[in-house]
Amino acid sequence: MASSPDIARLYDDHAPALFAFLLNLLRNEADTFDVMQDLFVKLDRRPALLEGVRDERGFLLRLAHNAAIDLIRRQDARERNYGQLACEPMPLFAQSTAPDEQIFREKLAEALGELPPDQRAVVHLKLWENLTFEAISETLEIPLNTAASRYRYGLDKLRERLRPLYDEIK
Amino acid sequence: MSTDFEKQLQRQPLRELPRDWRAEILATAAGPRPDSIQSRGDGVSAWPSLRAWAALAAVWPIIFLLQFTSPAEPQPAGNSPGMTMRSFAMLHEQTLLMAESFGQPNAGQPAAAVPAPPKPRSEIARRQLIG
Repeated sequence: MASSPDIARLYDDHAPALFAFLLNLLRNEADTFDVMQDLFVKLDRRPALLEGVRDERGFLLRLAHNAAIDLIRRQDARERNYGQLACEPMPLFAQSTAPDEQIFREKLAEALGELPPDQRAVVHLKLWENLTFEAISETLEIPLNTAASRYRYGLDKLRERLRPLYDEIK
Repeated sequence: MSTDFEKQLQRQPLRELPRDWRAEILATAAGPRPDSIQSRGDGVSAWPSLRAWAALAAVWPIIFLLQFTSPAEPQPAGNSPGMTMRSFAMLHEQTLLMAESFGQPNAGQPAAAVPAPPKPRSEIARRQLIG
């Protein structure tokens, strides 16, 4: 019999990373909250899910990613405007007191929103979770080469989009 | 190896998780479980509803009862799985024997073809050919 997991401990350890990842994918705070809540409820109801899991963070990111992709598909089928929503300005980064930095963060959030969700997921995990391509391929259940190429394409688009600003603040 | 651009992106701090979410999410996770979910020992919820299982158990005897009490419907001869080539041959032989015993030597032979009554379409076609 699987013992009940310590949900509070799991939340404290992983919720900030899940929040940032889901917010980047979903571009909507209410949806992010719903997915996170569903995820922790599921962990509490089904303790066996975490049995034998070595990398908790990777496992939870995978669950979050799958739930987010399901939601994106459902919303896409229902509204057909999710891509447009994803491009709307979304505070993804902390506020900066330096005006140049703040503009750069806003533009970066916009540019990330323009990436397809699969590229966005890889870019996020590589840059802000510091995962290796191997870990990303396991988390997102994609081949290693696919993870690497999605990252390269995504990063090229970001570089292209942000080049003028980046040159200014460099 | 990270480029300067990647390092610049990595330096951007992500937004913080709203603090009030913690209490709400943990309260929901620890909240009462719905009646429909009966957690088994291994943690897998495989019993959606006891009432549904009870209803299913009650329906099965009724289905069996109806199955055995209703009269069997006659099966078309051609579709009967029990009819083999051997049984067809035996039936044919019996027919011939009966016909011989009743003095009809050609009973086993197929009857001469009787012209079918003209159908409206064939009638029309024939009239057109003649007329």
